[in-house]
Amino acid sequence: MILKKKKAHILLAFIILIISVKGKAQGPPIFTDTPIMLGLEGRGIRTFGNIISKENANAYVQPVVFPFNISTKWQVGAMAPFISISPDGFDSRSGIGDVRVFTKYQIYKKDGKAKTLRGLIKLTETFPTGNSTTNPGLGTGAYQTTLSLVNGYVTTKYGIYGEFGYNVAGNGLPDNFVYNIAVGYPLLPQKYPPNQLNLFLELNGSYVFDQVGNNLFLSPGIQYIVGRKLLFESGIQIPLDDSAPIDQQVNYILRIGTRILIF
Amino acid sequence: MEKMILMMLISLSALAVKAQDTENKLNGTLKIEIDGLSCPFCAYGLEKNLSKVEGVQTIKIDVENAFVLLTIFEGMGVNEATIRKNIKDAGFTPRSITKENDG
Repeated sequence: MILKKKKAHILLAFIILIISVKGKAQGPPIFTDTPIMLGLEGRGIRTFGNIISKENANAYVQPVVFPFNISTKWQVGAMAPFISISPDGFDSRSGIGDVRVFTKYQIYKKDGKAKTLRGLIKLTETFPTGNSTTNPGLGTGAYQTTLSLVNGYVTTKYGIYGEFGYNVAGNGLPDNFVYNIAVGYPLLPQKYPPNQLNLFLELNGSYVFDQVGNNLFLSPGIQYIVGRKLLFESGIQIPLDDSAPIDQQVNYILRIGTRILIF
Repeated sequence: MEKMILMMLISLSALAVKAQDTENKLNGTLKIEIDGLSCPFCAYGLEKNLSKVEGVQTIKIDVENAFVLLTIFEGMGVNEATIRKNIKDAGFTPRSITKENDG
């Protein structure tokens, strides 16, 4: 009950902040993918630290993402995570988790004055590079393939994003349907070179098949873009629905990250 | 004599082509309206691509009003088709290109 009240307060505070502040433009969402493969989303490095608090463990995950644009419509990239897990009653473990490679291709684009509607398909392949033979494991031990549709309507006043994908997992693991929705709102007047402070509210979900259940997070976040090549962001994921057993459920996931444009 | 007349005609036509080429090139300060320009953070590629166009001196991007102001070096001209191609290559849609009053 108290937790539900807290979630309602966070949502209400965010909505009040959005309504009360007049803004102009915003950047890419923090937890949801964007169909805009330009600027910081094109040729750079993205890294963030996820601090995960669970009922029976604490973990730190630091992925490094390298997107590279072959053209403005086609991107390839790779993501390698460093993972450190400290479970209750077991020894801590750390190392490289499952590495992913991905490709994105823009399937539609409709530009207007100070607005754009874009969509892309994304194919992600996860390799079981993380050690899954130890307890706790650093990887899933399974190859996984995800096909997603990423959409976005971005104007100089707000941005709406959606990401929907189906993940096929090997090694006996259940498949899952991934769904992410994000709304972005800017707090500072737009200008170039950028100096932006943006707010995001996201819903990040995953429905796991084979009678496992649904996982859904409410994810408010804030982002600061300073100059042409640097972005800082932070967000927290609060579980609304957790399919894990009660003693393994997530309390929260805190993300602190940066994106750096290098080309 | 015939050869001399022929040479003169060739020279004159070459000059005419060169003059026409100069007339087709844009110079001064240009205002380019661009569709799809909805976020400052993604405009970096636009600035980078336009800076590659030979003759461009300064680039000012106005995201709020969705246009770019290009200043061309005095005595130089830029090709409109080149500008349009570089904007498209940056992921945006070029619209009208008009010459601004420099005064």
